[in-house]
Amino acid sequence: MSVWFALAWPSSLRRIVVRFSVAALIWLLCDFAGVLPTLAQSKKSSTSAVTCGTCHVGVATSYSHAPMRHAMESPGANPALETHPNLSVQMGQYFYTVQTKDGKSTYTVSDGRNSLTLPIRWIFGQHSQTWVLEKDGHLYESLVSYFPRDNGLATTPGDQKITPHNLIEAMGRRLQPWETRSCFNCHATDAVAGDQLTLDHLRPGLDCERCHVGAQQHMADAENDNFKTLPKSLKRMDSESISNFCGECHRSWDAVIRNHWHGPAFVRFQPYRLQNSKCFSGNDPRISCLACHNPHQPANRNNASYDSKCLACHSEAKASHARVCTVSKNNCVSCHMPKVELPGGHTSFTDHQIRVVKPGEAYPN
Amino acid sequence: MFFAPILQFVTKRDLILKRSTFEHVISSMAGRNCLKGFLLTFLMVGMSGLHAQEASPQFADLAARAAAARDQQNIPLAIELYTQAEQLKPDWREGWFYLGLLQYGANQFPAAIDAFNHLLQLEPSAVPAMALRGLCEFETGAYDDSLRDLEQSIAHGAANEPRNEQILRYHLAQLLVRAGRFQDALTQYKIFIEKQVDSPDVLLGLGLAGTRVRLLPKEIPETDRGLYLAAGSAGYAFLSGNSELAASIFTELFARYPTAPNLHLFYGYLLFQHDSELAINQFQSELTIAPGNIEAHAILAYTEMIAGRYAEAVPEAEHVLAAMPDMEMALIALGRSLGETGDPKHGMELLNRVLQSDPDNLEAHMGLAAIYSHAGRREDAYRERMVCLGLAK
Repeated sequence: MSVWFALAWPSSLRRIVVRFSVAALIWLLCDFAGVLPTLAQSKKSSTSAVTCGTCHVGVATSYSHAPMRHAMESPGANPALETHPNLSVQMGQYFYTVQTKDGKSTYTVSDGRNSLTLPIRWIFGQHSQTWVLEKDGHLYESLVSYFPRDNGLATTPGDQKITPHNLIEAMGRRLQPWETRSCFNCHATDAVAGDQLTLDHLRPGLDCERCHVGAQQHMADAENDNFKTLPKSLKRMDSESISNFCGECHRSWDAVIRNHWHGPAFVRFQPYRLQNSKCFSGNDPRISCLACHNPHQPANRNNASYDSKCLACHSEAKASHARVCTVSKNNCVSCHMPKVELPGGHTSFTDHQIRVVKPGEAYPN
Repeated sequence: MFFAPILQFVTKRDLILKRSTFEHVISSMAGRNCLKGFLLTFLMVGMSGLHAQEASPQFADLAARAAAARDQQNIPLAIELYTQAEQLKPDWREGWFYLGLLQYGANQFPAAIDAFNHLLQLEPSAVPAMALRGLCEFETGAYDDSLRDLEQSIAHGAANEPRNEQILRYHLAQLLVRAGRFQDALTQYKIFIEKQVDSPDVLLGLGLAGTRVRLLPKEIPETDRGLYLAAGSAGYAFLSGNSELAASIFTELFARYPTAPNLHLFYGYLLFQHDSELAINQFQSELTIAPGNIEAHAILAYTEMIAGRYAEAVPEAEHVLAAMPDMEMALIALGRSLGETGDPKHGMELLNRVLQSDPDNLEAHMGLAAIYSHAGRREDAYRERMVCLGLAK
């Protein structure tokens, strides 16, 4: 339909059609990800702050429920702590309590004679939680964490070997500057600027900008009807690069190898495990992180929902080198991607090293 | 202080200490089981000598008197008697061993080297003799020979006993610095840090290794000692986990010695393992002070590659290779970076070149795995990844 033809229409209808046409044209020009930018209309009709969701409504809405959006939680309204207002555990000679009252959570460690109480300021994780505590200007990773499977506290993964000698050591493991940068950079937005921590500016969880570098500029320019400054497209990356990109936080294969990490504790680093798979091929989109996971949505816990991803290669209908499973065509991941318990228990992870698992076989690598 | 006995040993003030320490050197050979084997070997050698002594009463008498003089701490007499006994029976291994040991204790280093040479000709695998010869060679200034002997003896277990370990590794670390093998020297100094040995000698040596000064500590002018001691203190603090103290010492050093070479390089090296972005900042600072520092360019290129900043790593690595065409670090940085930025063929060539001379180079295999993967060479990529998993273990 011609825009010019529409000039003869009533003004309100004309305005709608014109705006729709302009927006559609912009969308076509931008070749942008599947949502129709509606900023041109919204900025004139609304005085509220422009966000990514102003235009990308669908993806922004679904992302608000995604795990990465909740990689860090605000202490004030944390569902896990609100529903468990009195957590406690005895670990060796130390007694830990995490209490939540009136929207505030505190972390206390006691040796029976003295105790140390600190406010919980940063909650890392949506389900299992570890807290970062601040004392005398230094940051500490809490020595105990909350595990939803147990509905309780236990030693923070990786800290099992620590034997505290005093209350401060029992309270938490003092973080080195690079650890702090790395932790906050993957769990929050705007927590790091250059090589500096900017905790006063951080926003809990990962905003769009964290992955879509340039989104802020794009948004600012879009407010002035300039849609040329687009964030870097992640869709054009091959599977190898996507793995490395996701691996910046979920740990890449390179990072695990360089650090000489091996054993079940590192099953939680999915990009590394996936790239260990025989079927992984860096230029095949059927095996990338994004083939199975939409980072803008909550993880799908239904094993059967992944069958189509496996059968995209392992099917007689596909002319490919991939072998076809003789046992079943259903629930592939339940056999080929088993759950692995982290050392120390309390939680398990799906092993993304896709393989034929033989009975009694040891965890590979 | 724990290090004090070592320094006494090093400075040869006390024969008893040295001898008792040397017994540890012997015991260090490859663990205590090996020690038993070694001593047994020596005993058997001694018995064969004594067997010969039945046919040579003069030798038997000399050997017995030499041992008695040694036990009574009459060192000059013991040396004289062992020397006479060896003239009668030059294949008496135990005699050469004690003669070398006593001469070492008496600061008669060339003679001790000669004694150990005789023993090592008869018994090439006598690791303690090799270690002691290395220490003697250090004292005579035969540094290349000393480096060879100490490195080889440590590789064969001479440093397995804690007290011997510190003496031997301290000398080895100094020699590695002198030879320009700074990375290897730092590996040696890290062992001292793990044991919380923070003597000025270790700190000075660590400072020299970190700032890549190819001199022995004793060759450092008094006016420069403060700089290297402080650099060593910063390195010690960092490697013992006190990164905040390290940062403050380095900051002070940068202010006090703004043009001192390799200070930023040292700090960047320490940061590299933990945070490549912070390390890159330090390497870039180093290059503002010394733009012609090829090693800094090389480590910058390598770190940019590690950080995934491939486009930046390419020109840095090319710059290095123009000056030093065989520099492994730059070959790896360029090979991987080219593979990631659109020239996989050239990238593979460079990485394979590294593997020809260094077949177990982890980064080169990792680079090949990535390049094969991008290219869809699934089986090649998988093979390389499995090689890497094996090497990383």
